[in-house]
Amino acid sequence: MTYVRERARRIRPVVGLSILAAAAAVAAVLASAALGGARATPIKIAILSDCKGPFGNQYNADVGGAEAAFAQFAGSKLVNPGDPSKGFTGGSVAGHPLKLVGLGCSDSTPDVAIKEVKRLMEQLHADILIGPLSGDEGVATANYAKSHPNQIFINGTSGAQDSTLKVRAPNFFRFNGDGAMWNAGIGDLAYHKLGWRKAAIIMDDYSFAWTSGAGMISDFCAVGGQITKRVFPPLGTTDYSSFVRQLPPPSKVDGYFWVVGGTGTIASLKAFEQAYGPLKSKQFVGNLFFGVAGNYQSIAPRINGAYTGGFGTPGLDYVTPATKAYVAAVSKAVKAVPPLGAMNIANAYNGFFFNYYKDGEALVQALKADGGNPAASALGPALSKVVLNTPFGTVKLDKNRQAVEAEWSYQLVASPKGTTVNTVQYIPGVDQTFSGTYSPSTPPPGRNFPKCVKKNLSWIGKEKPVVNGVIK
Amino acid sequence: MRRFLTTSATLDRGIGLVALVLVALGPVAFSAYWVSFILTQTFWLGIAATSMIFLSAYGGMVSLGQVGIYGVAGIVLGNVVTTGQVKGLHLGWNPWLGVVLAIVIATVVGLLLGALASRSTGIYFLMLTLTFGVLIYYFFSSVTSFSGFSGISGIQGHTPSVVGDPTNHPNRLYYIALVAALLVYLGVRYLVRTPFGLTLQGIRDDPVRMASLGYNVELHRTLAFGLSAFVASLAGVLFVWWNDHVDPTSFGLGPIIDLLIVGVIGSLYRLEGAWVGAFAFILINNYTHDVNVPVVGGSFNTVIGVIFLAIVLLSPGGLLGIWEWLNRQARELMTGAGAATLAKARPVKP
Repeated sequence: MTYVRERARRIRPVVGLSILAAAAAVAAVLASAALGGARATPIKIAILSDCKGPFGNQYNADVGGAEAAFAQFAGSKLVNPGDPSKGFTGGSVAGHPLKLVGLGCSDSTPDVAIKEVKRLMEQLHADILIGPLSGDEGVATANYAKSHPNQIFINGTSGAQDSTLKVRAPNFFRFNGDGAMWNAGIGDLAYHKLGWRKAAIIMDDYSFAWTSGAGMISDFCAVGGQITKRVFPPLGTTDYSSFVRQLPPPSKVDGYFWVVGGTGTIASLKAFEQAYGPLKSKQFVGNLFFGVAGNYQSIAPRINGAYTGGFGTPGLDYVTPATKAYVAAVSKAVKAVPPLGAMNIANAYNGFFFNYYKDGEALVQALKADGGNPAASALGPALSKVVLNTPFGTVKLDKNRQAVEAEWSYQLVASPKGTTVNTVQYIPGVDQTFSGTYSPSTPPPGRNFPKCVKKNLSWIGKEKPVVNGVIK
Repeated sequence: MRRFLTTSATLDRGIGLVALVLVALGPVAFSAYWVSFILTQTFWLGIAATSMIFLSAYGGMVSLGQVGIYGVAGIVLGNVVTTGQVKGLHLGWNPWLGVVLAIVIATVVGLLLGALASRSTGIYFLMLTLTFGVLIYYFFSSVTSFSGFSGISGIQGHTPSVVGDPTNHPNRLYYIALVAALLVYLGVRYLVRTPFGLTLQGIRDDPVRMASLGYNVELHRTLAFGLSAFVASLAGVLFVWWNDHVDPTSFGLGPIIDLLIVGVIGSLYRLEGAWVGAFAFILINNYTHDVNVPVVGGSFNTVIGVIFLAIVLLSPGGLLGIWEWLNRQARELMTGAGAATLAKARPVKP
């Protein structure tokens, strides 16, 4: 028996290695089988969004947006029009078939996003990635893009400023605004329409919220407003009571800029109610998370009439022949975006859906221009030249491959007929630099930057009011 | 019996040799993705799991603080070596100095945690180390000078020349991680046979008796924690070289649970289990994205959860426990068959 034990002891390391070898061999066979069978010169596309975490409810909106564009402009079809997460089939550009190699599922954290990016780009060999959804994920993806110059990365809805202004990967393209751009004009609105002079700001403690808050601070301070307090709850906080208590009480400030996103938006407002009593709509200005589909239905009844920053799309009252055609086209391709419900104008105007839609449209347009060549050397320059004439305005890229586009501000409305989001102003030609406030050499938006400084922004005073859905 | 063991050992050695050759020829035998993603990750995750299994198997302490320790190493390295990145201290120091500082600081943190935790046992020890892991997560989430939620990117541009850029030259990091894994394995195996290792095992089995014999139980536990922290810090360094990015979610509650799952799937009682568990975990993570489990739906978490439950219920020794069980069954079958043959050949006389 001692002999048996001794032998067993000796073979233990060999046993471990043996298991490793056997499993490696089996898995290698599986992997090679999974990679086999490629068709001739397909354009391999991967889409990355968040199916988990605070923005997990927008996964189908993101994926559905890109798929709707491929259906409209390249002739593809959703596998299940009621469930975009099932992917799409068919479609081609310049004779080259589109091939969806995979859908990536992240959770708003850069660590998970990068692992998914690696899986999609290295294991599934996508030529082009569309995504990710969230701020820090975008920064990490842009950094990854920098070290993978032979593949193309089209940002999803990620709105951190750093992705394009600081990282500046030559193969990373963003056809949507960043978080600051989306809030262009909202500070001016708070100052002149609501009469705010002193305000506090609460913002999630990560790149997108810093960027989003930076837009509000820059815009508000540019016209003479003062930010008296900045509070930073970590992303994913569930109990906001200690953070709202750090805010000055309603009697000490004229209002609050509210930059808490995802599942935290409503939780933080409830915490404020518990701390300081009923919410007064004239004291709250939110960012896109007040007005986004899935949120405004709950928030509007609490702060009926509150203003919010935009998301690259107008409110639901802005209807033109072009927007009608857009809604009809996407409704034909996508029947529902679970869990947000059946495709309708609210889901079509949802920035998560529309920004991914723009990415799909831009990609098809660039592929048409370069003869369907997905190689970064051909597709990159073609993407740089893309100009999108969307139903919500023209989008072109600057030298950092960052969109210059029109932005919109909203007002939440709750009435006996239901809740909706109306448009209050239109700000054309917003760019990332905020008239020199931000540049590659300035610090990135953070807890202490930007400072509150009076400044002349190019769009101040030039915002166009929108009344009853008509730009004046 | 003897013949069976000889045959079994020869087979095992043969498979082991194939494994060694395969691993040594990784870049030739496997695709670039497998080399840079699956196997390199297996090596560093296995090292991290080893730090936990060492404490569990030889010290009787299941620590949930190891992920926090490798996180400290990763954050320190990122802060010290990067420059011109979006976040962090931007010190831009020599990459080797960064490695040394990362290992030293993480080891010291591990020693401090060990000194704190060495007096507790069982569920209290588990909770204390879990608290440490969560504390590390929130510390670096809140202190934006070091990291913040965004973390630090671009670390692959600041590696020692021997590592190079792992994105463009993944084979170098692959071999470095492989050598590190082998050295950790051999080092820990050696360590547990030294007087210190034997004392540690004595403390694991009966701390009261060891204390009455004059051994300083707390000191031995603290030192064991320090050694495991050293191993975990190696994993942290390899992790950030591999991942190019580190942020608090890299060592938050999710990764803490992941490492526990790696240990349980492999074996919490065998060092080899660290790499077996890591390899299985990574494979499942990579190849179950399109799996749809009836009723509960499909995702990595569902699949890994079911496997975790099955292993806890059926084989507390993990995959290696199953392998040992199969070996035992085969042995019994062989010896039983041998006895039957013998009985046939020499029938009993009335």
